[in-house]
Amino acid sequence: MLPPKNPEVTEKNPDDQITRMIILGPSANISQTELVRKLHMMELPLTIKSTCYGAVIGGDKDAVEKAVQDIRKVDEYNIFTKDRGFPPGDPRRCRAKRGGAREGFHQLEKEFELLDDVSKALKNPQKVKVKECKKISPDEFRKIAEECK
Amino acid sequence: MKIAIFPPNSLILADLVERKGHEPLVLQSEIRKKVTSSEIDSPPLNITEEDPIKGLKYAAIEVPSGVRGRMSIFGPLIEEADAAMIMEDAPFGFGCIGCARTNELCMFNIRKRNIPVLELKYPTSKEETIEMVNKINEFLDSLEEKNG
Repeated sequence: MLPPKNPEVTEKNPDDQITRMIILGPSANISQTELVRKLHMMELPLTIKSTCYGAVIGGDKDAVEKAVQDIRKVDEYNIFTKDRGFPPGDPRRCRAKRGGAREGFHQLEKEFELLDDVSKALKNPQKVKVKECKKISPDEFRKIAEECK
Repeated sequence: MKIAIFPPNSLILADLVERKGHEPLVLQSEIRKKVTSSEIDSPPLNITEEDPIKGLKYAAIEVPSGVRGRMSIFGPLIEEADAAMIMEDAPFGFGCIGCARTNELCMFNIRKRNIPVLELKYPTSKEETIEMVNKINEFLDSLEEKNG
């Protein structure tokens, strides 16, 4: 016979466990080492992994969100964060286990090239006009199609 | 507000949306459900038999299975969105890591939903990047105004 379930011990919901990537922009005031040290100093129940672009943190949703919120304050315009599906150091994605660049690395590499300009734009916001896209009439579309023939 | 972004795993778009206090609907949160579930623990088994059925809602049976598989993840995100941002010609959305037909279908579904959409081109210079960031911020601010 199975022992009765302890009502105080609740199973962890996998949705409550999240992972975030913290990416330092090219002009960031802190280094990866400092970033990881600051994350450790927060004393939150997190798994922290130092990476070439910054750090990966994983743990309870509340703790991760608090860490992200606090670490952004260190260098608001140069620290970027992104959600990640796999937990930190997951052998299915970790480069140490499987070799080669991790999936998603090439995208990060490409977007990293823009981060310096993104942080400059965030520091000096300017007013711009956003053009609203509108549907065109079938006649107008026919005219364009004929012109392109 | 829930904002769908395209490409759905873009760092820049997701980060800017969060900075303005909105919720980006990102691909990673859906992938997390698939890779942390105890039933599926090793690649390439990151698709269940339910997924192609979900994908059929967006793409017909004749469409390549890869499109349907991708749409089973992207489709519900698009349906959940209150607004959307599309960044066209993103270099990482093509080739072996992307699917051009799925990209087209996603953009079509976003436009069809009649929600506020911001359409951008992937920037190639400093000026274009700055303009893109300002446009995104302006768009997100306008959403706040509409919602009070």
